[in-house]
Amino acid sequence: MYGAQLPSLVPLLPGLVLGIGAMALLMLGVFRGQSFGRVVDFIAIVLLVVAGAVLVALPPGKLTTFGGSFVVDDFARFLKVLALIGSAAAILMSLDYAERERQQRFEFSVLVLLSTLGMLMLISAADLIALYLGLELMSLPLYVVAASHRDSLRATEAGLKYFVLGALSSGMLLYGASLVYGFTGTVSFSGIAHAAGQETGAGGTGLIFGIVFLFAGFCFKVSVVPFHMWTPDVYEGAPTPVTAFFAAAPKVAGIAMFVRTAVMAFPGITGQWQQILVFVSIASMALGSFAAIGQRNIKRLMAYSSIGHMGFALIGLAAGTSEGVQGVLIYAAIYVTMTLGVFAVILAMRRSGGMVETIDQLAGLARTNPTMAFFMAMLLFSLAGIPPLAGFFAKFYVFLAAIKAGLYVLAVIGVVTSVVGAYYYLAIVKIMYFDEPAESFYSMPAELRLVLIVCGLFNILFFVYPGPLVGVASAAASSLF
Amino acid sequence: MYEAIVLLPLLGAVIAGVISLVGAHNRFPGAEPGAPHDDHAAPLAAEDRAHGAPSADMAGSTLPHTGVEEPEHAPSAAGSLGAELITSTFLAIACLLSWYAFYDVGFLRNEARETLFSFIGSADLHSAWLLRIDPLTAVMLVVVTTVSSLVHIYSIGYMEEDPYKPRFFSYLSFFTFAMLMLVTADNLLQLFFGWEGVGLASYLLIGFWYHKPEANAAAIKAFIVNRVGDFGFSLGIFAAFYLTGAIDFDTVFDQAAGLVGKNIHFLSWNFDALTVVCLLLFMGAMGKSAQFLLHTWLPDAMEGPTPVSALIHAATMVTAGVFMVARLSPLFELAPNAKAVVTVIGATTAMFAATVGLVQNDIKRIIAYSTCSQLGYMFAAMGAGAYSVGMFHLFTHAFFKALLFLGSGCVILAMHHEQDIRKMGGLRHKIPFTHWMMVIGTLALTGFPLTAGFFSKDAIISADDVVQGGAAAYGFIMTTLAAALTSFYSWRLIFKTFWGEPYDRHHYEAAHESPKVMLVPLAILAVGCFAAGWPFVSIFTGHGADVFFGTSLKLGTADTIFEEVERLPIYVELLPTAMMAIGFLIALWFYILRPDVPVALARDQRILYEFLLNKWYFDEIYDFLFVRPVLWLGRLLWKGGDGFLIDGFGPDGVSARVLDVTKNVIRLQTGYLYHYAFAMLIGVAALVTWFMFAGPH
Amino acid sequence: MIIHAIFFWLFATVCVGSAVMVIASRNPVHSVLFLILAFINAAGLFVLIGAEFLAWILVIVYVGAVAVLFLFVVMMLDVDFAQLRQGFLNYLPVGVIIGGILLAELLTVLFGWAISPEIGKVITAPIPPSSEISNTQALGLVLYTRYIYFFQAAGVILLVAMIGAIVLTLHHKPNVKRQNISEQIARTKSSAIEIVQVKSGQGLSS
Repeated sequence: MYGAQLPSLVPLLPGLVLGIGAMALLMLGVFRGQSFGRVVDFIAIVLLVVAGAVLVALPPGKLTTFGGSFVVDDFARFLKVLALIGSAAAILMSLDYAERERQQRFEFSVLVLLSTLGMLMLISAADLIALYLGLELMSLPLYVVAASHRDSLRATEAGLKYFVLGALSSGMLLYGASLVYGFTGTVSFSGIAHAAGQETGAGGTGLIFGIVFLFAGFCFKVSVVPFHMWTPDVYEGAPTPVTAFFAAAPKVAGIAMFVRTAVMAFPGITGQWQQILVFVSIASMALGSFAAIGQRNIKRLMAYSSIGHMGFALIGLAAGTSEGVQGVLIYAAIYVTMTLGVFAVILAMRRSGGMVETIDQLAGLARTNPTMAFFMAMLLFSLAGIPPLAGFFAKFYVFLAAIKAGLYVLAVIGVVTSVVGAYYYLAIVKIMYFDEPAESFYSMPAELRLVLIVCGLFNILFFVYPGPLVGVASAAASSLF
Repeated sequence: MYEAIVLLPLLGAVIAGVISLVGAHNRFPGAEPGAPHDDHAAPLAAEDRAHGAPSADMAGSTLPHTGVEEPEHAPSAAGSLGAELITSTFLAIACLLSWYAFYDVGFLRNEARETLFSFIGSADLHSAWLLRIDPLTAVMLVVVTTVSSLVHIYSIGYMEEDPYKPRFFSYLSFFTFAMLMLVTADNLLQLFFGWEGVGLASYLLIGFWYHKPEANAAAIKAFIVNRVGDFGFSLGIFAAFYLTGAIDFDTVFDQAAGLVGKNIHFLSWNFDALTVVCLLLFMGAMGKSAQFLLHTWLPDAMEGPTPVSALIHAATMVTAGVFMVARLSPLFELAPNAKAVVTVIGATTAMFAATVGLVQNDIKRIIAYSTCSQLGYMFAAMGAGAYSVGMFHLFTHAFFKALLFLGSGCVILAMHHEQDIRKMGGLRHKIPFTHWMMVIGTLALTGFPLTAGFFSKDAIISADDVVQGGAAAYGFIMTTLAAALTSFYSWRLIFKTFWGEPYDRHHYEAAHESPKVMLVPLAILAVGCFAAGWPFVSIFTGHGADVFFGTSLKLGTADTIFEEVERLPIYVELLPTAMMAIGFLIALWFYILRPDVPVALARDQRILYEFLLNKWYFDEIYDFLFVRPVLWLGRLLWKGGDGFLIDGFGPDGVSARVLDVTKNVIRLQTGYLYHYAFAMLIGVAALVTWFMFAGPH
Repeated sequence: MIIHAIFFWLFATVCVGSAVMVIASRNPVHSVLFLILAFINAAGLFVLIGAEFLAWILVIVYVGAVAVLFLFVVMMLDVDFAQLRQGFLNYLPVGVIIGGILLAELLTVLFGWAISPEIGKVITAPIPPSSEISNTQALGLVLYTRYIYFFQAAGVILLVAMIGAIVLTLHHKPNVKRQNISEQIARTKSSAIEIVQVKSGQGLSS
């Protein structure tokens, strides 16, 4: 029987900082009114930074608590830091938008904090219940913030679509989890791994069905084909800072959950889930590349871009090796910087008539705002995977892992689709540099400029000294095996 | 110190380049097409086209020479003076250091290897940026930096009116840097780097007045003809690496001895390995040094500014080929057949270029053919195994040929960019200093006793005489005859330019001596025409060469050559001098005493005259053999291959299909929630079905 | 024992049948009522396997609160189901095909399923024998100890749901006058009335 002793809370500390901080901010916001929104935003950023610091300061090595449900290893640390960065940047980038659009609502920051708490839980989840709870805690605030412009038809539609489809995907995930539990008798990943190694025959097939449903839920969260349909509509409909938030941190957490589950819970049957991943990553890369070409709205384009990039990232997981996971981690890190940088530009697309979102509005940016155009171009080149920018290395590592794992077809298709994908990135560069200038944008707010320059420089200079990131990713990946 | 010698010019080039870029930016603020400033920039650019090219607009005008600036004349780029002074100063410092290095290495025997940093390390291939300073390099350092610094100073005067001076000086310094990289190379790759660097600089400088179509054409021609040679050169490097597994000189030379008699099997033929390597490398030298068959670019290269001709196309770059053969002498020594080819090509060039030089009328082209011919001499010496003698001629030639070019630059400036010697005459009264300088240069070139050319040229002819074999005998005959022709065309140039009656009174009256900044380098070079001769005889020929060059030159058979040269009968010794005298006398008779004779001769021997005047019809033959078929093939591949096949089935076709796919994919995104949900269900069902029937088994 | 079986089949059949009717019935109010019926039968099934706590929770929370709330919502919203069902027939064939395939495959797996003897060993959570302890007590023993993390996480999720509901629905319209009781109580004479001396013929010029 369990004694009354509380399990160790140390591994949970970063999460506690966020959770308690979020509740405190909620009180602050409720009792001091919306005019306190900006203060709440700043405190939220500080909380995220503090949580990151606490996370880094945790004792090294693998920490587990709550009977193995909650794990903090190098893998978790890497992705948690990434998720915290993504969230902090999202709040930072929302400041100016909130002020100008008169959407100053302290709840945004509180919800982002709670969602980030969910991400942290998700990244650390080592059993199916913790995973599901983390996932829901991450997703619920996302549904809410997607619809937070409740007077906007598009935002409401986006929120509703996201919610309904999210609920469906959660249902699938739960169904898959119940199948897995039914066939293995346990929810903990290590127990599942143990049982799955022995399953054969009908039980084996049943387990695979469970994995299919489980992975369908995962795929929805990282938005890969055919579970991607919500992505373009939600990206386009949601307010832009919210989209910026969607595009970075939740993807990181989704990838974390995907990788951890696949590698920790089903290591004995890699050959089985590998097929799912090969299918979805090929479909995502292809759809992401082709569909983006037809887009005129840059947020929608970024949605397809993210679908494609998730496809690329999953190549590394499909390899199923430590190297592959390392590639996924590097990809996630670089993808976050690229996305945040691009969204900094999108958020700065504001002129006298208000925010604009179509690609044509970037015309001639190179002349009206050369610095912004330069960094945007570099980020787009990086997204397209052109050496020596960081995006190239991201793709390089996952392709390398795929080739080493013998997935030649996957690697080749990846390269071909990245060529197709380069088209629409370069098309934007062409519009920025060679088209007649449109009316110039308002000057970029300082915080957006900061995000853009940091992300841009990271992508430009990554090749000079890639060692630290690659090393950390390698350590993080090997902590899973 | 050696780093300073090599890198100071680079630093100068960068600084001048920045100045010129800033200047260009200020000159054309926002000149991108479609920019709002476009209307403003266009007339400016047109103005520059009109005034940027001195030879185009100054030919008929005296204004620029009176020192009065035309009001609408494009002003010099800002910072021109700074660029000039910085680059010239750096070069002067490099020059002084080089002379010290020459003393240090040549006489104190302090050879050096300075590793800058490693360059390529891939499997067996290792290459580093390394400055190899041995006596051979030291000679080249001295030649390059001396001529270059003088040319820099001279250019301050010569380019006075050009608005793009910083660019010019940047190119000039960059050239010097590349040339120094070339001569300090310790491996074939670095040699190739310098080789291509000077090629690039040559291209940029020939096309410096890019508003002139001829200059552009000449620049492209130089580049392309050099590509042929470089192709051979790079194949040679590959072959050397293939055979020896290394590209640094020491290893290659060490391995070479073991390769004697080995074959390279290519397709179904066997070739002697070393001969192939040497000939391929020599092909590069032929291109760079404008040897027979690959010489056509050099006369055209005279479209560039005259200081460029002096520096690149007379004194330094074109001698890179000679230097390379000297540097690779341990290889060539082991490949007697290759040496024979070198001699034959060299001797043929010496003769061929001299014959063409006889009838040319452009002052710079005459000197260009003369350069070509003298380079042939050097190769004739190299092929005979007398490497130090070839280097000697390279050394002396740098001085007198630079002098001749710079002098002709003064003449051209005096004649308002008139280059046709038929339209000159009598100039010795108007520009006496230039005249005497040119005469000194001509004396040295023709090998007048006690001048520098006398020692080096005689040494070559003698060396070719004493070496056994058909190639050397051919070399001896050709070089001896060419000596007479050299004398003839050189004096023809002097007589037609400086003597006789003025052709155009108006131009004649306006002619005036160039400024001091141009004349001082002339004087220094004139001193060099004497000083480079007898003081150096002992280190370039005889046993002194063995001591001086040490291991940097392979003087395998040279010892016997020198011994035999000393035993040569006196008439052979006197033969070149006699030839020189004959040439001089004929020129005197033709152009001073009986000016009607050459006219009559040209009329009588119409075919021969036309043949020579048209440079043996090489350009026409090449045009027919290579240019037109390539153009035809290019057009075929462009229209048929690329336009129809590749574009149709490639980019255009593929992009059209991609857009089709895109349209269909976008149609999937209907916006209906239940479609989305259904897509998810289909996805799950598809995966489940897959595993049901195919997956886990 | 036979009674046990009879009740199992009764509850199970009614539960599945009413679940089908939830989506099949044309009247939304009927659908919700069928939903309640399904919940009650599920609760019955729970009782049969001895999980009386879950059974009562199901009745109290789902029937008593959630389903009744649904009922109110459905009645207030006045959803036109006929309109929602437009196009239903168009999608029916392909939907039936996909659903049928999935169902068939899942059934294949289920029928071939034999619980592996190993499974008993991998179960990590202790299950006390029901003779010793009621399952309500058993749940209570682990809910705040072993599963405290899950319990708290679920609590945070509910908090988020609450915040979300407020954020999305609570409007503070600026022009709506609201009652502020503390302000009303705190009124004093000086803050409530103002005494103005009006000169005759000039009126008020505020």
